[in-house]
Amino acid sequence: MEAPPVSVMPVTGGTINMMEYLLQGSVLDQALESLLHRLRGLCDNMEPELFADHELVYLLKGQQGNPFLLRARRSLSHPTAPWHLRYLGQPEVGDKSRHALVRNCVDVAASHSLPDFLNEMGFRMDHEFVAKGHIFRRGALKVVVSKLSRVLVPGNTDNTEPLSLSSLVELSVLAPAGQDTMSEEMRSFAEQLKPLVHLEKIDPKRHM
Amino acid sequence: MYCLMKITHQREEKLLEGSVESLISRVAHLKNALHSFIYKLENEYERLTWPSVLDNFALLSGQLNTINKVLRNEKTPSFRQQVIIPLLLSPDRDEDLAKLTEQRVPVFSHEIVPDHLRTKPDPEVEEQEKQLSAEAARIGPEVAQKQIQTLNKLCSNLLEKLNNPRDDRDADSAALRLNKPSFNPADTNALVAAVGFGKGLSKCRPPGPVAPGHPGQGPMMSGGPTLQQVTISGGSGQLQGMGPGAPQQQGQPGKMPTNIKTNIKAASSMHPYNR
Repeated sequence: MEAPPVSVMPVTGGTINMMEYLLQGSVLDQALESLLHRLRGLCDNMEPELFADHELVYLLKGQQGNPFLLRARRSLSHPTAPWHLRYLGQPEVGDKSRHALVRNCVDVAASHSLPDFLNEMGFRMDHEFVAKGHIFRRGALKVVVSKLSRVLVPGNTDNTEPLSLSSLVELSVLAPAGQDTMSEEMRSFAEQLKPLVHLEKIDPKRHM
Repeated sequence: MYCLMKITHQREEKLLEGSVESLISRVAHLKNALHSFIYKLENEYERLTWPSVLDNFALLSGQLNTINKVLRNEKTPSFRQQVIIPLLLSPDRDEDLAKLTEQRVPVFSHEIVPDHLRTKPDPEVEEQEKQLSAEAARIGPEVAQKQIQTLNKLCSNLLEKLNNPRDDRDADSAALRLNKPSFNPADTNALVAAVGFGKGLSKCRPPGPVAPGHPGQGPMMSGGPTLQQVTISGGSGQLQGMGPGAPQQQGQPGKMPTNIKTNIKAASSMHPYNR
């Protein structure tokens, strides 16, 4: 008896093909308090959610130029929670009038053997960092204010050093592919955070 | 009504009558509005919303405004100069009067006359007015004129500011805000680069300021040592005892994964469940 043929078609449809709309900005530490107050007022009323995450970025270098990137994230405040594996595609070069950065996004949860599994698959950890901060929500919009720190000794997340004097502010929405209604809402929300923070779409390639 | 008004000229009489008519109709409107508002407050207070209360107040305010306008109209003769004298007071109930006033004034007697036909304001109000007029007389005309001018200037300035949202205003406040910037664009770029592709986060590099010339080398440098580490373990983990072939090209980090991939491909060509 022959083994069933392995399908090589990618999985499409369902919640796999999600697009992430992203706007990024930063806020200096001295203005962080006022930003948090403003977000408390603008966003849904819930208990302020703190998070502390350790993210490892894995690269798979193929024969062609672009390496394949996967991001594995675990919570430092909830050590038993599952790991979160995320793939982010290249930003879509759509019409320039779109206000947010749009890219393909695949999120899955994984067990604690994820780093070993990725190593076995051939991925190599490129860099890691620790992100600590607040997360707010307004409808489908998600606002994350995080302080990034670099890990001085690989694997040791207690010994960290802040990357800069600012915190990163990210406004993101996850929507199924094809829905383009969110960028207007994101833009008006970003307007409300001015002049504390300027949220804009920043092409990461420009800073390579 | 049970009182006569002393008038001198025919024309003025007509004018007076006309203005009194219009005043009566306006006051009747106001009375009706008040009546319905009070009814609403007393009976429908559970379903009453603040906006509809505000609407009622607005209606009353509008009606008071029209009454004021009628009174201020040039054509309206001055009512102050008219005198109302009751000609007949009787303690008996008068049905016509009662009907006319909706049962509020059934008797035109000595008790109701001082209230209904009063012309002077309340004593407290009278007292305050007296004080104000004494004050005004004391300061003298020039000072008063100056005060009037200052008040007018202030009011017109305020009105102008409120009516014309000018860009100058934004420029002034923007200048103030620039003194205390709340974000640094350079920091934004650095953070986005760090999250995007690890600029400044390489494990090899000692902690320090991010050097812009380095990012290309950084990831490769970090790739090197780890790759070599893993090749050894990769070699030990091979299926089917196939020679790893991996340690051959240690000097070129980029080639390592290729070799491992080839091995895996070769392994799958041999079907595990060989039947």
